[in-house]
Amino acid sequence: MTAATAVAPSVVRPASPICSCEGLTIGYGRARARVVALDDVSLEVRSSELLALLGASGSGKTTLLQALGGLVVPDAGEVKLAGESLSSLDAAARGKARAGTIAYVFQGSNLIPHLSARENLEFARLVASAAGREGPDSNSALALVGLAHKADSMPSELSGGEQQRVAIARAVTQAPDVLLCDEPTGHLDSDTGRRVLDMMVALRAELGPALVIATHDPAVAKRADRVVVLSEGRIVPGGSS
Amino acid sequence: MSALVLHARLATAGLARNPLRTLLRAAVVAAAVALLAAMLLFISDSLRTASASAVRAVPLDWQGPVSSYSQDLSAARGVSKQAGVASAQATATAPFAGATHIGPAGHTATGSGSIFAVPPSYERSIHTFRLLQGSLRPGKIVLDQQMAATLQAQIGDTVRLAPAKGISPQPYVVSGIALITAPDQVFQPLNPSLGPAPAQPPSNAAILPLSTFARTYASSLHAITAANALQSSQPGAQQGVQWEVQAQLQSAPLAAGSPSAALKLADQTRNRVERSLPGQVQFVDNLSDSLSTAAGDALYGEALYVLLAVPGALIALGVAYLAALGTSERDRREFALLRARGARRRDLLTQAFTESAILGVLAGLVAALVGMLAVKVLVSGTTITATRALVTTAVSIVLAIAGSAVARVAAVSSVLRSSVAEGRQATRRARRVAWQRYYLDIVALAGSGLIYWLTIRTGFSAVVNPDSNPTLSLAIYMFFGPALLWLGATLLVVRLRGRVLAWLARRAALRRPGSFRSLVLASAGRRGAAINRGLLVVGLLLAFGVSLAIFSATYDQQAHVDAELTLGADVTASAQPGQGAGKSLASTVARVPGVAATTALDHSYAYVGPDLQDTYGIDPATFQGATTLRDSYFVGGTASTMMSRLAQTRNGILVSQETITDYSLKQGDLLKLRVLDQRTGKFKVAPFRVVGTVQEFPSAPRDSFMVTNRAYLDAVTHSPGPNVVFAKANGSPTAVAAKVAAATKHLGATVNNIDQQSARTATSLTTVDLTGISHIEEAFAIVLAAAAMALFVATTIAERRRELALMTAIGASIRQAGMFVWSEAGLVLGAGLILAAGLGWLAARMLVAMLTHVFDPPPDTLAIPWGFLAGMAGAAVLTVVAASILAARSLNRMHLGRVLREQ
Repeated sequence: MTAATAVAPSVVRPASPICSCEGLTIGYGRARARVVALDDVSLEVRSSELLALLGASGSGKTTLLQALGGLVVPDAGEVKLAGESLSSLDAAARGKARAGTIAYVFQGSNLIPHLSARENLEFARLVASAAGREGPDSNSALALVGLAHKADSMPSELSGGEQQRVAIARAVTQAPDVLLCDEPTGHLDSDTGRRVLDMMVALRAELGPALVIATHDPAVAKRADRVVVLSEGRIVPGGSS
Repeated sequence: MSALVLHARLATAGLARNPLRTLLRAAVVAAAVALLAAMLLFISDSLRTASASAVRAVPLDWQGPVSSYSQDLSAARGVSKQAGVASAQATATAPFAGATHIGPAGHTATGSGSIFAVPPSYERSIHTFRLLQGSLRPGKIVLDQQMAATLQAQIGDTVRLAPAKGISPQPYVVSGIALITAPDQVFQPLNPSLGPAPAQPPSNAAILPLSTFARTYASSLHAITAANALQSSQPGAQQGVQWEVQAQLQSAPLAAGSPSAALKLADQTRNRVERSLPGQVQFVDNLSDSLSTAAGDALYGEALYVLLAVPGALIALGVAYLAALGTSERDRREFALLRARGARRRDLLTQAFTESAILGVLAGLVAALVGMLAVKVLVSGTTITATRALVTTAVSIVLAIAGSAVARVAAVSSVLRSSVAEGRQATRRARRVAWQRYYLDIVALAGSGLIYWLTIRTGFSAVVNPDSNPTLSLAIYMFFGPALLWLGATLLVVRLRGRVLAWLARRAALRRPGSFRSLVLASAGRRGAAINRGLLVVGLLLAFGVSLAIFSATYDQQAHVDAELTLGADVTASAQPGQGAGKSLASTVARVPGVAATTALDHSYAYVGPDLQDTYGIDPATFQGATTLRDSYFVGGTASTMMSRLAQTRNGILVSQETITDYSLKQGDLLKLRVLDQRTGKFKVAPFRVVGTVQEFPSAPRDSFMVTNRAYLDAVTHSPGPNVVFAKANGSPTAVAAKVAAATKHLGATVNNIDQQSARTATSLTTVDLTGISHIEEAFAIVLAAAAMALFVATTIAERRRELALMTAIGASIRQAGMFVWSEAGLVLGAGLILAAGLGWLAARMLVAMLTHVFDPPPDTLAIPWGFLAGMAGAAVLTVVAASILAARSLNRMHLGRVLREQ
């Protein structure tokens, strides 16, 4: 699998795992209404790699991303973040572990609605700072995504693409080891989506976090270092590369 | 029928699908309705209690004068057969010129007095006297204890009564000693057209069996008839035999309703009885007189209850409405779905009403239970009969159905309007609503201010018309004062939409840019409308609590002042009539544990020209230590100034404004009074110097009286010493009074205390018992304010659920994410307390101004119940803390993954 040519391919090489899961099983609902979202999934995310999670809707991509970030507690299996098992931690400790390691870019509405673009970044920077992480300041981060002129705009005043760029800038201020992105271009038109993706790849090249992108867009997969395909909650054997 | 069952099933299923939402709606509606239920219960109970007390307080309901013994017997028989009459007895009263007794101590005699003649069965049904010893027997006499003491007569002795001068005395053997407990009524002159005229009771009184009286005594005197009644119509001027029918009404029907209803029933019964016995008897109606006073007090009470209760009830329903609106968006979605599936307008309305009815029944039952429980717990002595409980439950259910239907109708209306065309209209209608365009809030506040200004400027306030048909002179416009204040303040808060708070938050955020606190404040600064929603409910509820508490405290303060003015001090000890106790009474009282200070008075009478006035000899140096003198009691100077003038002028005297006007007096003028020289028993002239004008004084009557130096008064009257002692109690007046009574028993002093007096005072507004309703409303104000505060926190978390989850996903701690909610709760609480302090104080001030003239004396300042206010603020703060802790736990348990998937 080759990375996109637009932004310095192959600058970052896969290395040791920063985040991993082993035998992960997660289900929703009870009894007959129970749906298994992930079934015995094991995965490693290595430092600075760009990993694409491919799969149809309902295949378990979002659940896997959330599990890797400690947002959902697995029914079985184990998640490790920077070598530490999240399973043994309570919600507060998981949050703390997350703050020092992981940043998210979600699909759709991503920003705190009553804070301006700069304040959204400030919030994330203060949270990361409390966990001992020092990323670039808000203005620099906004400049990186080309939105310095929109620093005082409220989320409702930004377009969908701009909101995603602010979310990426927010992730940048957290100086994460892993950036988990859940269909970051899913709500965007193809042109805007491509530009957002270019930006993420460029930032990964410049700042070095591992990038895990859940998507069903093959274009994203083409630019990834590695692709993992999920189907009905399982990793498809041979579907990964 | 099947359609109705289907709707009921659907409604039940809908309510059961969201049990928490259903419980929340039911709980809030129940809390609001419970307040109303408790108030209704209390008001009806207090009105019935007032009727029962008024009926019980009258020892003798009717007295019908007749001309002869035979008429008396015949009329009594006729009256006793009438419906509603419990008992009717033929009785009589007559004067005697003197009585003598020859006993072991020698020959003793008394002056004039009165005889009361009753049949043997009298005592069983009418209670105007109480036998202390012996019994009433044919041919024998029962002496009142004072007469027995004067004559030193005992059972078995013979006393002789002289009906009039020149008529030979009649001998009677004493068969008992009694205490005539209602001498004012028994010996009053009877003139049905004039009504009751309670008389000064005779010093000597005796009771004879009616038949003995008729046989041995009545023939010596002429009978009072309609023709000569006028001669005997002055108190103490009775010269002949007054034959009379005395009757008691059945008390249960009278005590079943309000005093007004009891008065109406009593009047109707009297008219019916008089009509059915034409020309035989007409009554002096003591009962209606008492019920008129009670009805007047009840009218005050009802007006006060309305003024105090309505804002609370409206705000409580407002909370219920807001709580229901909090779920109306979900309701709207559900109805929209039903409509999309083909439900008709009628179906939606029926469905909404069915659901409201089910919810209302549930909330109404809870409300009735809570209301009854609140009344039982918070108001001592309340009785709730089975009928009353059923009525309360029915009313509560109806109110609860109505309350929950309001929110549902709003939701249904929204769905029914949701066509595209109407949607466009709604867009066009984005401009401000009419009341905002016309500044109705400002107009209402200005109107309220104008009414308040008129009230205090013109002195126009509530007054009771003292006639037999009591009405409360409350100009309708006066009610608009507080009503417009509440309306204007509410609309103004709505208009501001939290802009002031938002501005303040943004300003504060700028002070420490880049800090976490600045982000929290910046967020709050952009949520003015949401914060305002909380402020509207919490602030108004707290304001209601503040206004109620301040008014109640002022009311209680004035009740105490009124009782102190009437009695004189916390505890008073009075020597027996005609006896001065010298210094021993004062020194004895002063030594009693719990007595903080004492002052001795000499209460006597003196003539100013032809007017006999109460005269109080006081010691200016000690007087204010033992009781309270308010500046409003005096004209032309403060209380201290007047006491100082008295102290500096040995023969100084303070006289009433009426005396000043009638005799063209001014300060420094010489005033010659005729005072009773106790050494000679004759009046003599003594010179006094006018030093000021007094209009009210502790223990003094409300008409003319005078206050002078005791030392000078005692010197000119050769008084044996003070006959009254005022004492300030250090602790419970009742307990101190008991100790004083025990200590002064050997001196024969009569001891009273202010607690007794407060219960006894029967003519002023402050006798209306507000304690119960205050307790109920204060408790509900606290509960509802706390609930509103909790509701605000819960609603904010529900609204910002995804946002908070996002923050947590980014890595924020629960405390950091929670700060975005707690800061807003803090702003609501802070602003609510400020709003409550201002609005509550203004509303209380307005109520007091409206009722200034019925306070006696008017309050100098508002009483601030700091304890309650601190408790209420504390409850709100505690609720925020408790809600925050619970909310933090719920945030901690929040399923982040699931919430973040919500769009």
